[in-house]
This record gives sequence, C-alpha cells and structure tokens, in this order.
Amino acid sequence: MSVVEYHKMHALVVDDFENFRSTLYKMLGDIGIGNVDSASTGEEALRYAKARAYDLILCDHNLGKGKTGQQVLEELRTEKSPSSDSLFILVTAENSKSIIMAAYDYEPDAYLTKPITTKALEQRLARLFDQRDVLKPIAQAQANENWGEATRLCRAQIAEGARYVNQCQKILGQLYLNTNQLAEAEQLFRSVLDSRELEWAQLGMARTKILQGDYLNALQWLEAVLQNNPLCMKAYDLQAEVYRAQGATQALQDVLVQATDLSPLSILRQQALGEVAQQNNDLVVAVGALRRAVKVGEHSVFDKPEVHSQFAQSAVDLFAVDKELAKPIVREALKTVTEMEQKFGKKSDQKTNALFLESQLLVCSGDEKKAQEVFDRAQASLGDLRGEAGLTAEIEMIRALRTLGQLDEAEKQLQLLSAKYADQQAALERLDVLQDEPQSEKNKQLVAEINKKGIAAYNAKNYSAAAEAFGAALQSLPNHIGLRLNYIQAASDDLKQNFNQKLSDRVLGSMTKTGKIISPQHPQYRRYRQLQENLNSLQKDKTSGVKL
Amino acid sequence: MTERLSDNTGGSKTHMDFSFVLAHSVHDMKNSLGMLLTTLADMMDKYPPQDDIQAKFFSTLEYEAARINSELVQLLALYRMDEQKLVFEIDEHHVLDIIEEQVARNDTLFKARQLSIEVDCPADLTWYFDNEMLGGVLNNILVNCARYSHKRLLVTAGIDNGFMRIAIADDGEGYPEFMLHDFSRSGNVSFSSGSTKLGLLFAQKAMEMHRARGREGYMILANQGPLGGGQLSLYLP
Repeated sequence: MSVVEYHKMHALVVDDFENFRSTLYKMLGDIGIGNVDSASTGEEALRYAKARAYDLILCDHNLGKGKTGQQVLEELRTEKSPSSDSLFILVTAENSKSIIMAAYDYEPDAYLTKPITTKALEQRLARLFDQRDVLKPIAQAQANENWGEATRLCRAQIAEGARYVNQCQKILGQLYLNTNQLAEAEQLFRSVLDSRELEWAQLGMARTKILQGDYLNALQWLEAVLQNNPLCMKAYDLQAEVYRAQGATQALQDVLVQATDLSPLSILRQQALGEVAQQNNDLVVAVGALRRAVKVGEHSVFDKPEVHSQFAQSAVDLFAVDKELAKPIVREALKTVTEMEQKFGKKSDQKTNALFLESQLLVCSGDEKKAQEVFDRAQASLGDLRGEAGLTAEIEMIRALRTLGQLDEAEKQLQLLSAKYADQQAALERLDVLQDEPQSEKNKQLVAEINKKGIAAYNAKNYSAAAEAFGAALQSLPNHIGLRLNYIQAASDDLKQNFNQKLSDRVLGSMTKTGKIISPQHPQYRRYRQLQENLNSLQKDKTSGVKL
Repeated sequence: MTERLSDNTGGSKTHMDFSFVLAHSVHDMKNSLGMLLTTLADMMDKYPPQDDIQAKFFSTLEYEAARINSELVQLLALYRMDEQKLVFEIDEHHVLDIIEEQVARNDTLFKARQLSIEVDCPADLTWYFDNEMLGGVLNNILVNCARYSHKRLLVTAGIDNGFMRIAIADDGEGYPEFMLHDFSRSGNVSFSSGSTKLGLLFAQKAMEMHRARGREGYMILANQGPLGGGQLSLYLP
C-alpha cells in the first residue's frame, strides 16, 4: 500500500453530540491528521464544506434537528463546491444500508457503524485512501471527460489483476454505458456473471438492455435481481425508468408505490410517485405521495416549489371528489402554500401561483370571503408575469375561478387565453387540460385517434380495452366531457361483466368530477344523467348482493 | 415511519405488533448504549486506571457493554431478516480486509484481556459475501471467543472444497456438548437447551443467506481445534 500523507489532510467531523465529536477529533489526531474541523449540524457542515476542500468528511447520519447525514451528502454531491468530491463516510448506529436505502447516485464512499475504535478507523481510512490513490488517474481522466484514457486505464488495471479489479470493472461498465459502447458493456457484464451472479453486473445488463431499447429483456434482468433481493432500490429505479420510457403510467405508479413503501424518506421517489399518480387521476395516491414529498423535502436539496404547488392542487382535486377524506389534507395544504414564499424566497411568479392555490383551498375550507380577497390579490399581480411562469399562473387562475363557482367568468378568461396563445401550440397544449374541447393540433389528433380506437374496442365488446384507451387520453385532457363520458360508459359495461371495487371506485370518482365540470346546458348533459343512473343501480346491486 | 392517509374507517383499535415495538425500543437502547460506550472510552482516556483492580473494572464494563451492543445489533438484524427488510448485497471482497477490520474493532477488548490474536489469510484471497453481514458475524464470534479463551486466538481463511472457509480457534475449554449438537452439519438449530445463543442463530442465518449455484453457506462447531480449544468454521459458497 502507498503511504498516506495524513499530516497534510483536512478532515471534517459532523455529529450532534459534543462527546462524539471530540472522540473522533482525538482519534483522527492519533492517526496523524493534523487539521480537523467539527460541526454539530448538517447546515453548519455544509457551510464549512462549501468554503474549503476537505479530504475527508466523517458525518453521522442522525443529526437530530435539521438535515440528516444523507441529505448533507446529497447536497454536497449535487452542488458544485470545493468538497464535492471529498471522501465521505456516513456513520450510523446500526446496519446502515437498511436504514438509508439511498437513491442511485447518492451513496457515500463508505459506511461506518458505531462504536468506532481508533485502530478500526485507521485501517479503514488507509484502505480508502489507498484505493483513491490508485484509482486517481482514472478519476482524473473521467473528470477531464477523456473517456478513451479512462477506459484504457481501467482495462490495464483489470489485465494486471491488480487489487482493485472489482472496482475497475464497475467503473469500466459505467464508462461503456456512458459512451454508448453497448456491445462492450454487455460483454463485460456477461463475463462477470459467468463466474458469479453479482447484483451490480445484473443491473448493468438491465441498463445495457434499456439503452438498446430492449425493454422486455431489461425487465427480466430486474425481475431476477428483485427475486434475490427485494430491497434493491436501484432495481426499482430502473424499472421506473423503463415504464417511463414506455409511457406505461399505471405500471410506473405501481413500481413507485412499492419503492416508496420501502424507502419512505426518499424524496425523489415520492415526487415521482406524486407526479405520475396525478397524471393517472389517482388522487388518493397522488395526495399521499406529494404530502410526504413536501414533508421529507423540508431539509433536502431536492425540494422544489413545484412539488408544493402540486400538493396543493391535488388537495383541491381530492376535495372535489371526497370532502371528508380531503378535510385534514386541505388544512395542511393551506399551510404549505402560505409558507411557500418564506421557504423559496420572494420570486413573484411563484407567489401569484401560490395565491391562486390558496384561494381555492380557502373555498374548500369554507371561507369564501377570504378566498375572493386572495384571488383578487393574485389577479392584480398577474400582469407582471411573462412566459412559462405567466402561463402556469393563468391556468391556476382558471381553476380558481371554477372552484370559486364563477363558471362564466372562467369560460370567458379561458377564451381570452386561447386567443392570446392562438399561435403557440405548446401553450395551447398546456391550456387543453382546462378545455372541454382541445385547441392544440396535437391534442385534437389525440382525441380523434383515441376515440377511433376506443370505439372500435367498445363495439367489439372489449370494454376493458376501451376504458383503458379513454382513460389514458383523460390524462392529458381531464376536462374533455366527451372522453370522460366514453370512459364512464365503457368502464360501467366492464364492471357489469366482472365487478371489481377498485375500478368501481375510480369510475365513481370520475363521475363526481364530471358533475363538477358539466353544465346542464351541455349537449351531452342527458347522456351524463343516464350514465349516472346506470352506475348508481350497478352499485346498489353490488352492495345489496354483498350484504346478503 | 411511513405515514398514510387515514382510510376513513376510524375507531379501529390500535393494533400492537410486539416485534415492531421491540425493534423500536432496541433501536433506542442501541443509541443510548453507543453514548455509554463513547463516554466510557472518554473516561478511561481522561482518568486512566490507577491500579490493576481499577483496570479490571474498566475492562469488565467495556466487555459487558460491547456484548450488549453486539447482541442488540443482532437482534435488530434478525428482526429485519424476518421482516425481509435487511439489505443484503453480495459482492467480491478481500477476505483479509474483513478479518483485520473486525480484529481491529475489538482491539481494546483483546488488550484488556491480554489475548494475542493471530491471523493466517492470503493477502490476495477474494470471495463473495455481504460485507456488513459477515463483519457482524465475525465480530460476534470474536467477542464471544475473547470471553472463553485463555491466551490465544487464531483466525485462518482459505478455500476448502469450493467453499471459502474462515475458522476461529481458541485455547479455551471448548464448546459444550449440546452446542456441538445444535450446530453440527446435520443437526437443525433446536435451542432445546434453553439457551438462546442469539449470536449463533444470527451466524447460522447469515450463512444460509449466502447462496450460489444451488449451494448455501453453513457453519460447524468443533472441539480439539488447532489451539486445543473450540473451533468455529464458517463456510461460504
């Protein structure tokens, strides 16, 4: 092993217990590290780490109030700072991997379990620094984006049968994937798997297959990994990647539900789940995930205002279909939106949007008067907004008008917006979520295609396929009455054939939502009433059947 | 913990899952014990023992605290295993690294008990296992051996019939008959003797989780080992 030059090193110790800080301080001193700083909170640690480069950061995971050790690591690795590449050791009280279940790119260089002794620490550090030293040329080449050189160096180490062959194989696999040398990647992973079924190589195969566009095979590899290790979060993340690429939003939601059950503190997975569930019109799941995303986001570098707005939106949407269930959520969402300005700073585009959301939540909590006041304030500041932020706030304004019950005004404003953005397809597409009939070319075409496909399936008495088609289109056009009624009709016929509670609940929710947006003057109003009666009698049959 | 939306049923009685409660409480105990151990180390550092009697007190305090600690760690690990919530990832590691790491971890304990420990393992030997789990198993065995051996411990590692074998031998009185029976190759763990032997149960389970090509890991207890006392062998496929 190479000689580690400890006396030149700078270390940072982070723990909320003074006692433990001083113990580590002393241990590092005994090992020979001359410069040791210490911090008692994650926030303080980040201030230090952003101010100067540390060779080593020893950070406890549980830091009491504020950020956790994992969140400190995430912030360090995502934001460029002098210590972005510091050797980071996460200290925990028990089997650490099981507690943390980190997301993909945010694993520490090593875990260390308390209690720690000087000798064990010294040994561990010697190995980590030796490894870092040996692999430094490779890291350097990667930092310079000199992929060819990095690849050559890795191969040389592997051919030599050097001590860090395993690490070099992993880096090499990553390099092949990054540079799209998929045949080489596959060969490498397969040769590793020939001698042993190792998880990282199986995951490597899955990633190779994803890049080759062979999703079926990728999913098979991931299935194999999860069979062995149902806690492999990387496998869930890759499954999600596949489903996202396939546009399979229900499968995506299901896999994210599984993943967030296992790692409830992972903010990125909660955010992703909230987003896709909202898209799937699965309000209960969406609200739950977004609420948790807001909560675990409190100290996270991945927190963002959009998630807070989404949470508020989903609370309003849930209120429309289930007031009882939504009540406590609405209270919480109200708190969330009113705190947004304080949390994310006084950027006015967020502010206007937040006010429109607040106004809707006030309606939900029965304070119409205050809701109108807040709405007026929001509308007054709308004029200052331009571009994307302007459009986002304008869309929220229409929603607010509808929630306030001012349907005519909402319609008038929506028409004004359609005219304003008449020559901007992207903006029209976004406005289509509010429209009864889509205005953008893309969505007009979508409706035409889906109706053709869905009606064909319906006529062939394949009701579930028909319902699925209409349901998918509702994701981008939730206010399209025609699609909505088609969906309800197909799903009701499907329910008549084989009843299941989950689908039934979903259809009932869709029915309630339709009731909110359809006016008695609508040409399809009679059809709506007819379908509503059908569905009610279907429900009655079922419930009385169960009671008998 | 995971929060959920209320499912609107209301009024249902809080369900108490005892193993869950226990696991939480163990977790808290473990944190307190961590503090206790650190404080103890600090105290020994600031007020070194004045005579042999004090030194002996300190060593007993440290040994018993360390034992509770490793017992709690295993209890939690067994709970997670049972709930299928223990992250388990087999990768290729250097065998000498993990042995040296666990020996270093118990450095103070060996010193206090005046035990000499010898490691015989090729530097370039690599094998496939979950590092954290095998580390926990070895730690527990070492702590246990420190209690029952007189002067010496010997850890050897090598390849044996397609398995990687790590053997820990001591110069104590050997394992009692019922344990030899419970942890023989053929016998199932019965715990009929009334002694829980949590550490051995954990070790056994940890070995069984290591599987490859239809074979799984196991362990064997034997007496009249190379140092005259007991010998515990771990076999990993």
